[in-house]
Amino acid sequence: MISVRDLKIHYGEHVAVDSLSFSVESGSVFGLIGPNGAGKTTTIKAIATLLEPTYGEISIDHISVLHQPEEARKKLGYMPDFPPVYDDLLVYEFCDLFAHAYGLPKEARNKKVKECLALTDLADKAKVKCKTLSRGMKQRALLAKTLVHEPSVLLLDEPAANLDPKARIDLRNLLRQLASTGKTILVSSHVLSELEDLCDAIGIMRAGRMMVSGNLQDIANISSTEKVIQIEVLSSDKKLQNCLAQFPSLSKITKLNQNGTRFSLSHTGDAEDAASILQSLIQQGFPVSSFHRKQSKVEDLFLDVEAGRMKEEKTR
Amino acid sequence: MNPIIRKGIRERLRPKHLLASALFSLIIAATVYLSAYLDGMQEKKRYDYISKTHQIIEENPVNGARNAFTYLLGFQGFLLMFLGTGRVASVTAEEKELGLLDYQRMTPMHPFSKVTGYLFGLPAREYFMFLLTLPFLLHCVVVGRLPWLDIFQLYTVFFSSVILYHLTAHVIGLVVPRPRAASWVSRIAVLGLYIFLPGLGQAGVSFLSFLTILPTYFGKILPSLSFVGENKLGRFEAKAFEFWQDVPFFTTSISPSAFTFFMQSLLILTLCITAYRKWRNHALPAFSKPSALLLYGIFQFLLLGCLWMFFTEGKAIGLLGESFSLHKLGQPDPYLALIVVQSIFYGLSILVILPLLNICCPNQHLYLKGMQRSEKLSLAKIPMGADERSGCWLALALSALTIFTHFIFATLIEDSALWNAPLGALDTVVIPSLFLVSMALYLQASRELWFNLGFWGFIGLLWFTPLLMSLVVAVGWSTEHIGLILKLQALCPLSLLPLHLIAENSSFFSLDQNIQESIREAVWFGLSVSIALSLLLQFKLRRSRK
Repeated sequence: MISVRDLKIHYGEHVAVDSLSFSVESGSVFGLIGPNGAGKTTTIKAIATLLEPTYGEISIDHISVLHQPEEARKKLGYMPDFPPVYDDLLVYEFCDLFAHAYGLPKEARNKKVKECLALTDLADKAKVKCKTLSRGMKQRALLAKTLVHEPSVLLLDEPAANLDPKARIDLRNLLRQLASTGKTILVSSHVLSELEDLCDAIGIMRAGRMMVSGNLQDIANISSTEKVIQIEVLSSDKKLQNCLAQFPSLSKITKLNQNGTRFSLSHTGDAEDAASILQSLIQQGFPVSSFHRKQSKVEDLFLDVEAGRMKEEKTR
Repeated sequence: MNPIIRKGIRERLRPKHLLASALFSLIIAATVYLSAYLDGMQEKKRYDYISKTHQIIEENPVNGARNAFTYLLGFQGFLLMFLGTGRVASVTAEEKELGLLDYQRMTPMHPFSKVTGYLFGLPAREYFMFLLTLPFLLHCVVVGRLPWLDIFQLYTVFFSSVILYHLTAHVIGLVVPRPRAASWVSRIAVLGLYIFLPGLGQAGVSFLSFLTILPTYFGKILPSLSFVGENKLGRFEAKAFEFWQDVPFFTTSISPSAFTFFMQSLLILTLCITAYRKWRNHALPAFSKPSALLLYGIFQFLLLGCLWMFFTEGKAIGLLGESFSLHKLGQPDPYLALIVVQSIFYGLSILVILPLLNICCPNQHLYLKGMQRSEKLSLAKIPMGADERSGCWLALALSALTIFTHFIFATLIEDSALWNAPLGALDTVVIPSLFLVSMALYLQASRELWFNLGFWGFIGLLWFTPLLMSLVVAVGWSTEHIGLILKLQALCPLSLLPLHLIAENSSFFSLDQNIQESIREAVWFGLSVSIALSLLLQFKLRRSRK
């Protein structure tokens, strides 16, 4: 498992990560999401022992990354966002180098390298020089190298960034499969859709702070008290806005087009209340052509965070 | 086999590389060797500068082989010292920039295995090309009847130099953040360490001359390379041979190859400490405080050992040493010699203190991190040797070591009948001591208050801008503003201490009374500024930490 407590990282005067705390249980996939510059890569590098935090505690399977980095490194597999490889090595040699460096005996090394290359769909590229690989293939070679010493914790920084759609699906399946074997996986991305189907839990970061974290269902429920109703009428009518303003459960009426035929409203009531609003509008003769009650989703929350609308940390 | 060496062999010695590099090495080595060999073995006329007659040297293959040896050694040096060093510096910096070094850092290999892997793996092709020159070397030694023991000594020093150069390049690649900067810094460091510093050997600081292969080459091999039938070494060869003889060290002398080996081992150890720390954690400073103190202690010991004979018996090696040497000059000017040698001692000491304090003093963030950690561990203070601890004690210890060495020199001068010293030891030591302590304290405070850039900016403005200004004033108004010129110069420690030594011995230089007064005023001015700065910056530092 990964545990991060009160992490602070300064770059000179700039605070890259500020009071960050979260934990990832064994056998689960945790997604760190946030816009560029949110502090995701910095956090992952600190967990990977590559960056010394200014303050805070990080532990990997109860081993302190700060006090016993050598021990922690044995358990870690790290894959950076930009996939550098040794250009003049063959793909097989590249993975073999790290299997050797991690102390695997020769026979086990050969078997393990082949296994990892097969797992990442690179078995047929084993005898090809790394420099001839496409960016997506380099990413896969890097993943094979990361898995070769069987780390219990995987830190993957934007692992799907250079992959084609099929490779993304394969990666997702592979990561789920690895998690099911008990590995702890921390993945970062700035694309939410990449993580929604993969992660058990996510954390949304902005400006070095964790704005929201928890499992996906809990996060979806965070703003469930406030939903959005979208109404469309056939023709504009000034009375409509006055009528809508009379409902106590509706607020923040926003016109969605120039004609004044589409509106968005914040709604704090339940489904019954929404039904009575619709009934009332029809009874008053407004030509309602569409009435849609939208559930708040993780995506909305992410957009809120990205736009800086969310001020406080919410954790479930 | 070390996986990183194996990686180097796989990357750079595939069959096509082997063929290309073998052809390159064999063609060039054969061309260089055979042309030098054939030229050397022919009959030739030589001018003997002592008997002032021409001497006939008959055709002899032994002479050919001896003539070719230096050229072959030069080519081997080109392969390993030039090509190999460049390869290590550029690849280390490039891998660091790309993040490949991070992969290696995360493996559980011991940091020394990683350093060994990089030192021997990256220049694998250069080592292979070197191997192909060995048959020529063997021919040269057998045909030229060169002494095996001397050749063995030379090649031991050769490889220790190669490792030293490669390690310097590797450490610079690890320390300097950007590849382009690393490439420049490594070139400057190699030039400084192995060309500029050895030049100071000519000024009596002999140990700095023993960082290269030259002492062993000139001191051991050169006589064996003289032609059969030749009576004496040439004028240049004789001078070089004489210079690179046994090194005076305290009251004994050490052979040049042993001393070179000792000096290079010391430097290799220093670089290994840095490489080890950087491989463990790249955020760590290049030296810990205790290792910085130990290294400075060794440095002072070497200075003491090399200058001992000069202060006791007036003996010094090198060109300057020779001209100052009391027994060679009928009319010695001992005070000038004393001032020059002591100024070099102070200059070198300050130039070593400066980077050590820059490396070992924590910036505000590191200090804060240390405070938070010691709070967490329930410690009253940050431990003395910790990187996060303020460098105040180190600054004081470094200046104390320098003062101690100078005190020994002053005592030797006082005890020696040679110098007829007019002043007591304490008279020459007190002002430099005050100055060194205050300088070390303001350097430490400025490093801890400001980040790296601020520190170097401060040094540039305080030390070098006034020096340059004094140059302009001196060119324009030398006689009118001598006081101002000297005061500007006194702001820089590298010129203040020589000024102090001149002031102390001014009666022996027949200087005008006005100038003597101006020098004294300038020394006090420099000292006052230094003390005021140290007090001010230390106060500011303490206040910022509350």
